[in-house]
Amino acid sequence: MLNGFKSPGRIALIGGESEIGLAIVSHLPEDKSREVILVSRSGEYAMDITVKADRERTVHNLFAKGDVDLAIVAVGLLGNDPDKSSADNLLAAMDVNYLSTVHFVELLVERMKEQAHGTILLISSFAQVRPRDDNFGYGSTKAGLDFYARGLASKLKGTGVTVKILRPGFVQSKMTRGMALPPFAITSEECGRYGAQALRSKKLITWAPSILKYVAVVFKALPAFIFTRISHR
Amino acid sequence: MQITDPVITSGWGNNFHSLSSKASASTVAEAQEIVAKASTARGLLATGLHRSYGDSALNSGGTLLDLAAMNYIRIDRASRIAVAGAGATIAELERAALAQSLFPPIVPGTGYVTMGGAVAADIHGKSHHRTGSFSKAVRRMTLLLSTGEVVDYTPKDVEFWATVGGLGLTGTILEVELELREVTSNSVFVLEKRVKNLEEMITTLAESDSDFEHTVAWIDLSGDYRGRGVVSLGNYCAKQVKSKEATSKGPTLPSIVGKNFITPLSVRAFNEIWYRKPLKNGESALTRYMHPLDGINRWNNIYGSAGFLQYQFVIDIGKEQIFERLFAGLRALKAASFLGVLKKFGEQSAAPLSFPRPGWTLTLDYSTSVPGLEKFLQEFDEVLVAAGGRTYLIKDSRVDPALIPAMYPRLGEWRKVRESMDPKGLWQSDQARRLHLC
Repeated sequence: MLNGFKSPGRIALIGGESEIGLAIVSHLPEDKSREVILVSRSGEYAMDITVKADRERTVHNLFAKGDVDLAIVAVGLLGNDPDKSSADNLLAAMDVNYLSTVHFVELLVERMKEQAHGTILLISSFAQVRPRDDNFGYGSTKAGLDFYARGLASKLKGTGVTVKILRPGFVQSKMTRGMALPPFAITSEECGRYGAQALRSKKLITWAPSILKYVAVVFKALPAFIFTRISHR
Repeated sequence: MQITDPVITSGWGNNFHSLSSKASASTVAEAQEIVAKASTARGLLATGLHRSYGDSALNSGGTLLDLAAMNYIRIDRASRIAVAGAGATIAELERAALAQSLFPPIVPGTGYVTMGGAVAADIHGKSHHRTGSFSKAVRRMTLLLSTGEVVDYTPKDVEFWATVGGLGLTGTILEVELELREVTSNSVFVLEKRVKNLEEMITTLAESDSDFEHTVAWIDLSGDYRGRGVVSLGNYCAKQVKSKEATSKGPTLPSIVGKNFITPLSVRAFNEIWYRKPLKNGESALTRYMHPLDGINRWNNIYGSAGFLQYQFVIDIGKEQIFERLFAGLRALKAASFLGVLKKFGEQSAAPLSFPRPGWTLTLDYSTSVPGLEKFLQEFDEVLVAAGGRTYLIKDSRVDPALIPAMYPRLGEWRKVRESMDPKGLWQSDQARRLHLC
């Protein structure tokens, strides 16, 4: 349950090894009595998100021991494994970022609606703003998730369950190691701060960093020939 | 019988917003029907006027059972015994009793508490050092169990004591039988004394307990945090006074765009005036004296939409040094309380979860938007528990569940009785979930 300071007593971090996810948890107001459940590939709550039975079992187990006040869904795949073909990389990213995540969130929502409270934080991406040649595949998976999350947030009004969307730009983490830093890149630590801010905010969408909100407006407005030049840099 | 779609309900502190259905019953048969239909998934909880500050009377995803319509009161003048429905309020009982020159021996700071709530929280008042807590006056209670059975319990039964202070988690209280006391008028003789600091306050309260049935002190915790204040002492007296009803007729404090008006500056200004107000030395109407804040309806709106919490704890006599630590911490946070109350408790009741026990009890109100307050109170709770103290569950909205067994060492015993009374776990509350009570 939330306490009187609106501090969640029981948090599930889906993607328990996610640097962004862990950073978000670390930026929540300190609360000694809080229980943080890490759902990752190993441990008590081991789950392979791409396996349906795993998702079902995990959601069942999460709620078996009490209410889940906050679920941070921080699983994601860039789809750039050099050992895989481009098609297979995209398939894996689609599976993790959209297909499996959305199904998992649906299962979460079912249980949260029963308890009539709970918050789900989903991590979208700046990449879903406009397709760029270098990452539109990944961007499309996040665009799907983002689209779904906005619809879900609206549908859940009046149920006590809320959805929040975090839209980070380039985050320096394991996932992006070795890649050149574009403008407005932030560390996972900074991204965590924005994630905690998203949870406090009354708004559905939080950008990380905040300026990306305006960059997105410009990105969308640019004529195609200019946008292509910029995105090829 | 009526069951609504889920609606948002808050405690008195406005710091929880919980979505639950509401069922109301005006007869025992209707209440039984609701119990028979209720699902154990998120359960059922009998609630009254939602004067508990936190989430004691909330049940997210479940159902709240409202027995406001069961507010009958029958008084037998000769035996001084009142039989009241669970939905009858303290204020209603006082009115009915006063008409026959009787009065409930234990009343809390507000008249807006139902009989069910008074038992479930084992409430106390200014007379605790003499009269103990509410359960001391209760001779019998009728309980609706999760099986649908209606059972009478008396102080000889363990079920009686598990229900006293049991936060509604053992069953639904349907009826309470309690003993009233004689009064010769509708007034109290009140003597107020201004004190310069905490030490003087403690001495004055301790010295006055033998001479006065009602003792309490307003403590100023702002400015220099030295604990100056006004000690208020009262005894029932014989002089009849003209009395306006203290309930329901006063102004209502509106919620002005959810703004919080309690700031260190406003509290300091208010406390300065309050400290210097003319002291009473004479008769005062009983109901007004007992329930000073009931004159303003919805006074909780003063804290705005962020809500507030009430922090009340008890600490043994001789452990007063703990106050210094608390005051220093609050001062560092610039946390100012405009409703600080200090009182010396008397005997403990036999109920495992009843809060009052011999010692000093301090009550403070704070906006939940005070930065650093959550962390500080968690740290202070540990100091409190190490010194053998505990906090009051009916006012709680933030204690660490790990500390509850130390604060209430008979929790295990209570759980066993509760389990035997409600094996299927029908009675549930948000607080019980948050603090892992059941």
